[in-house]
Amino acid sequence: MSAPSVEKGIQFIREQIDAPVASFFSSCVHCGLCAEACLFYGQTGEAKYTPINKVEPMRRIWEQEYTLWGKIKSSLGLSRKVTEKDFEEWETLVYDACSLCGRCSLICPVGNDISDMIRKIREGFAAAGYAPEGLIGASKRAVEIGSPMGVKLPAVKAQIAHLKKDTGLDAPLDLKGADYMVLLSSMEIMNFPEYLEAVARIMRQAGKTWTISSKAFEATNAGIQIGVSDIAAELVQRVVDAAEELGVNTVISPECGHAFTAIRWEGPNLIGRPFKFKVQHILEVLDDFRAEGLLKTEGLEEAKLTFHDPCQLVRKGGVVQQPRNLLNMVASNFVEMRDHGAMNWCCSAGGGVSANERADEVKFKAFNQKKSQLDELGVDTLVTACANCRIMLEEGIEEHEMDLPVVGLTEMIADHLVEERVEDKAEDKNE
Amino acid sequence: MTSEALLTWARGPGFDLALAIFVLGMLLRLFEILSLGNKPDLAEGRGSGVVGGLKTIITRNWPRGTVFAREPVRIINGYVFHLGFFIVLFFYGPHIELFQTKLGLSWPGLPTGVIDAVAVITVASLVLALVMRLTSPVLKQISSVGDYVAWAATLLPVLTGYLAYNHMLVPYTQMLALHLLSVELLLIVAPFTKLTHMFSFVLSRWYQGYQAGHRGIES
Amino acid sequence: MSTISNDGQMRDAIDAMDTGQQRILAARFVEHVLPLTKDERVQRVLQIAGNEESGDEQLLAAYKAAKAAALEAHARCGSDGEWNDQTGYFVARAAEAAVAPQVMSHGKSVAWQTALSCRMARTAQVTDSNDDAHDSESEAQYRILNEFLTR
Repeated sequence: MSAPSVEKGIQFIREQIDAPVASFFSSCVHCGLCAEACLFYGQTGEAKYTPINKVEPMRRIWEQEYTLWGKIKSSLGLSRKVTEKDFEEWETLVYDACSLCGRCSLICPVGNDISDMIRKIREGFAAAGYAPEGLIGASKRAVEIGSPMGVKLPAVKAQIAHLKKDTGLDAPLDLKGADYMVLLSSMEIMNFPEYLEAVARIMRQAGKTWTISSKAFEATNAGIQIGVSDIAAELVQRVVDAAEELGVNTVISPECGHAFTAIRWEGPNLIGRPFKFKVQHILEVLDDFRAEGLLKTEGLEEAKLTFHDPCQLVRKGGVVQQPRNLLNMVASNFVEMRDHGAMNWCCSAGGGVSANERADEVKFKAFNQKKSQLDELGVDTLVTACANCRIMLEEGIEEHEMDLPVVGLTEMIADHLVEERVEDKAEDKNE
Repeated sequence: MTSEALLTWARGPGFDLALAIFVLGMLLRLFEILSLGNKPDLAEGRGSGVVGGLKTIITRNWPRGTVFAREPVRIINGYVFHLGFFIVLFFYGPHIELFQTKLGLSWPGLPTGVIDAVAVITVASLVLALVMRLTSPVLKQISSVGDYVAWAATLLPVLTGYLAYNHMLVPYTQMLALHLLSVELLLIVAPFTKLTHMFSFVLSRWYQGYQAGHRGIES
Repeated sequence: MSTISNDGQMRDAIDAMDTGQQRILAARFVEHVLPLTKDERVQRVLQIAGNEESGDEQLLAAYKAAKAAALEAHARCGSDGEWNDQTGYFVARAAEAAVAPQVMSHGKSVAWQTALSCRMARTAQVTDSNDDAHDSESEAQYRILNEFLTR
């Protein structure tokens, strides 16, 4: 990759301007309602966080180069070119105060997909070298090591070994022709190893074959978050190559928000062709099992609980009903937040925000939106299905000294499975 | 130039010129948008993009409850001046006659008393919109000269029309000429301001709606 | 009672204990991996877990402290993950499990969950060097359990 530069940044932004983007800028009447959908604006009162304002540099390039009036103004020296200063000023708007949650896109009266424009403008900022340090490091590590957090195969193997020894369950590596190829996010591998156990137990009960690829186990796509399509494409390609080489039927995206968006929606468009396998989120898979009668659960959680809808999964991914079906299987007192489902509020840490230390302050302010939702509802447990949301929720809850445990949905389902202990069948001798 | 001569010009060549600029300008804007192209979505879909696109064109006419709760005045005011403008434009007898002449189409109008009242409400609503634009931090952040030009271009026809009908301020012929000139101003600037939204909103809603329909997600 | 020498026996023995007993056992498991963390809060949590007299309020306070320790020690998303740092995280998680209120453990046994996290902590310490420390921790846990049962 050539060195970053402002010219390159502008060029990359230019390349992102397609007919939809042009229609969005043409239709925007500056009504300002997008601000009311944005938790970063709402919780800080900073007008500059108005979503459509975040893409102002792109709008200027569009107007100056793709509209007659803009070209006339340019030639008369009446328009302000995008300069280095704009990249400087807008970097925090584009990366720190936006989690790509997509609420603004749903609100806009003229139908502008503003969050997608922010995703696009990041391509220019990254190319100009104006991206947060944390994300630059993460994408570098993702490309060079295979994981944005530097998690290597031995760590995955250690988790698999633990699984075998502690529960007797297998997590086969590189099993050809398996029903499912499971991806894991680095966050899960490092912080929530119980996710792997949960998947293993569920697969066993459902009677499905599954595998993890030793060459492509990472689900997180740092390229999407920073906005470098080349990196994003490379990361997707690794998964595609592994999945197609193994001939698996379906690739499962784990409890991680942007991982799903990356592989499910952007993936084929990044690599330029459709996949030869299906992609499903783990909750879609679990719900399929439920619908087919393959999940036997017992017991009900009695605690009053609610579900935090991860933006990429629910609003942007369309997996709305599945978590609810699954929760209704194991919870007796499941209540919904007032804004729930596709209109729920972001945890404030998605889209690369959590990897960006500089954004910590604004992130915690934005979290107050989620806090007010929880305060209003008053529950004993918070369930979610994204490792990043989970950590953010825990941090926010901790910050405000709220007494509220956060639980992963897949884990919760696994905890209620009716099963015998496999290790009773394991050999009695020591190894 | 006498008022009569100005009026004659405004009704005749002036109007035709402005209309031509409007039509060509809008067609050019549409071309500028569409010629940029749109890549097909290679991701496996769950539903119909066409259905999503068409649905979204309709459903974005109504605000979501949560946003309405935050800005009810701004939202309702938007409806008021849009509806008011359309009612005055399309249901005032002399306007319908104009459409008859130009397009061969005709339809029943509303009593002039009603139109009169609607015009007043529309002007008031537009003034309120301006006040909000000048006082809200968010709107100040995102507003530019174009917004104020579009505002004036939209207000003047309604205002001058009302004044003309009610024979106020200046002699009727003059005011009518001003009204027509203000209409022509609106027609001329429209393609070069955010007023293009009057056509492009169909595209923007369609594009997002199509993608949402294809993916099977909320739109 | 035969000596514990595998996981099946270990889980049976634990299931036969009441929660209070399990907490004391759990505290001992965590003590074995305590050198892997620098967080003093964990030490204090263990004191409460290992004390038969500890009341519900003390356990809850300890649980919160352990949770805070775990949260602070976790790997930040997208950061350069250091497996060695994760040892502290898993030790804190083990302490958390030792004092977890019943309603939050979904019926999982306290001591077993603690044991699992301790094993993860040991593994995290040596993962980069490819050694297998899991078994050595399990062996240590059988030993601790045997001592506990015969005290």
